[in-house]
Amino acid sequence: MMEWAKESLEKLEASRPARLDQPAPQPDSAQAEALLKQYHPDYLGHERTVEVGPNAGKQKFPLELAQLLEGDSPLEPDYLPKPKIETDVLILGGGGAGATAALTLEGSGLSVHLATKLRLGDSNTVMAEGGIQSALGDGDSPRRHFADALVGGHGENDPDLLRILCEQGPESIRWLSQLGCLFDQNEDGRFSLRGGGGTSVPRVLACRDYTGLEIMRVLKDAVRLTGTQILEEHVAMELVDDGKGRVTGAILFDRNAGNPVCVSARAVILATGGSGQLRLQGFPTSNHVGATGDGLVLAYRQGCRLIHLDSYQYHPSGACYPEALVGQLVTEAIRSLGAQVVNAEGVHFIDEMAYRDVLAGAIIKETAEGRGVKTPHGRTGIWLDTPMIDLKKGAGTLARQFPGLIHRFARYNIDPARKPILIYPTLHYQNGGIRVDSQCRTDVAGLWACGEVTGGLHGKNRLMGNSLLDITVFGRRSAESVLRNIPERGALTLTHLKRFQVEREKAERVKKDGSHITVSPKFFPDASGMKLKPVAVEQKQETGSSSSNFEPRNPFNF
Amino acid sequence: MAEKTVEIKISGKTIQAQVGETLIHALWAAGMAESIKTGCDGGVCGACTVTLRYSDGRTGGTELACMKPVEAGMEIFPCPVEADTAVEPVANPELSTLQLAFPTLNRCTKCGSCTTACPMSIPVMDSVLRMQKGEFSVVAEDFTTCIHCGLCRFVCEDKVKPHNMGLWVRRSLGMSRNFAIAKTEAEQDWQYLLVEDRELRLRRARQFRQSGRIEP
Repeated sequence: MMEWAKESLEKLEASRPARLDQPAPQPDSAQAEALLKQYHPDYLGHERTVEVGPNAGKQKFPLELAQLLEGDSPLEPDYLPKPKIETDVLILGGGGAGATAALTLEGSGLSVHLATKLRLGDSNTVMAEGGIQSALGDGDSPRRHFADALVGGHGENDPDLLRILCEQGPESIRWLSQLGCLFDQNEDGRFSLRGGGGTSVPRVLACRDYTGLEIMRVLKDAVRLTGTQILEEHVAMELVDDGKGRVTGAILFDRNAGNPVCVSARAVILATGGSGQLRLQGFPTSNHVGATGDGLVLAYRQGCRLIHLDSYQYHPSGACYPEALVGQLVTEAIRSLGAQVVNAEGVHFIDEMAYRDVLAGAIIKETAEGRGVKTPHGRTGIWLDTPMIDLKKGAGTLARQFPGLIHRFARYNIDPARKPILIYPTLHYQNGGIRVDSQCRTDVAGLWACGEVTGGLHGKNRLMGNSLLDITVFGRRSAESVLRNIPERGALTLTHLKRFQVEREKAERVKKDGSHITVSPKFFPDASGMKLKPVAVEQKQETGSSSSNFEPRNPFNF
Repeated sequence: MAEKTVEIKISGKTIQAQVGETLIHALWAAGMAESIKTGCDGGVCGACTVTLRYSDGRTGGTELACMKPVEAGMEIFPCPVEADTAVEPVANPELSTLQLAFPTLNRCTKCGSCTTACPMSIPVMDSVLRMQKGEFSVVAEDFTTCIHCGLCRFVCEDKVKPHNMGLWVRRSLGMSRNFAIAKTEAEQDWQYLLVEDRELRLRRARQFRQSGRIEP
């Protein structure tokens, strides 16, 4: 296998015995800074300010996202549907954060609807591999966890949010365990803890390399046992408000029925996740199909400020070969167990446990300067020397601890226990997002947010294992805050769209250049060609829909 | 490298696909994304289940479209599996409680379809037999990689629900674990770390993470 890389593989194997015992090359702070500034995609100027909304002129966004934030709603501002569903709490998003919020609301007496664009659990959560951080080890504490995450986030983290995250770590693991999550244990019955990039002590709990799957399948099962009404394949198109600045529900689109569904809710929890499928600067992504940043656009139109969205996480080890696996995650835990990053010349060029952003910069540098390995499909990556794990930790370790990795590559006759795998950074995590306070409240009344859609917590670089903790801690916290502060039911209008349209009409870019007029959110990745397909009103009436359910003809702006 | 094109069929319709790409991406490129469900496109959500057959006489079966590379002459059909009603797990599970929760447990006729259908190479049938003997810790291990695509249940003639039972066993064992959290008083550390000045806060965090305490 990989005959095309024969020469480089020979160099890698030749240098392996010497590399085994050599310490990893550590970049000093000036070198790390240079790697970021010269090679990390965040720092290359592919960003601009926007001309509309609460962050207008103040903050930069990636070009792809800026266009969506300035975009036009798929709905006309005078579209005023009757509510088809009345509920107390509407959760938008069916990943870990949304499911956690739903579980927390169970037993409160409030009615809960959870809407998801795909199916319950189809999310970035289910794809998370490496683990979840919690200060449970010897010599560890929530303060040390805080210090690690703050340094990793370049000091930009919201300290209050971060303190909550770290302090709630152990309690979150207790909560997940009580739901029935089986985290790996040592023979003495204590949790097995791994190191992660930027953790000063081992702190990452895992379920092999399927930690997110373990958490999501348990959450999913638990949510199905609650009274939560689950609306699968219901896309959030727009948040509605009472005309006085409070969010009072949402307009969903039922993908199966082909029509909009208006939901009146006393509180809305936005848990729509990230935006890796925007594929910034043409990067591949490790994200699920729904990760198109819809929640950012909806909240922004309602007047919520966004924070740190100039910062994305490019996971250093995305698969680069075979072509069918490009962008898919190769968990950091493999690096933490001893797989080195090695260039085409067989040189171990940096410590693989450097912070994710620095390591991503270093890998991009190697390939940019000609020390990468070119695949038959014209991509360039560097080696992750996976066979080293069995050499260091004993035969069979890789297969035992990383069954997911082995399973995925086996289809292509690649055995990572015998041959290294080729990696290149992949767009992995939206570091920034909607600004929230310590109660998960956004800038707009009636709207709460939790999970990847929010920003501030992770600063400008998230540590491994802090996102699964984020969705658990803040998924619960958002629901608890809703329980304490739930408003009364309000009127349903699209007043914010009128206000947004006025702003758009004034905006120079939108006025001058028609190419920037975009309908947003995006809902589905460009590459998929998927679209919302409204069923024509006439057709529906033929199938016997009563006239009292009449919806305005063609509510869509596309 | 020039891409090689092959023909595959989806529900009887012929499309062109590029060698090396997965079924999902072939459908995307052909403008037929919505002919099957998609979730993660990474082999862990179980949305994109399909049945397939080959033109060269090899035995087909079930697959995840996001994981399966295209091959010339391959024919696929969507095979979505609805989620089943969840069953409440119980702490300290026993064979009798499993039987009560899943009355079809003993109906298994050992045909092996479930094992063949599993896209994650789980020894499903063997594990069902282990369930019948109450060997729960092995069962939990067997289902570590289960993505709940539902194919094992879908193909079972006898209404056995292997993946639901696997999850029930895992959750029940998980709930049975004891868990205590040590509480520590640390307000002094927090005051030190949460200092207002951002630069100082970062410097203090850099120091604190070295030893886990405030150094004099």
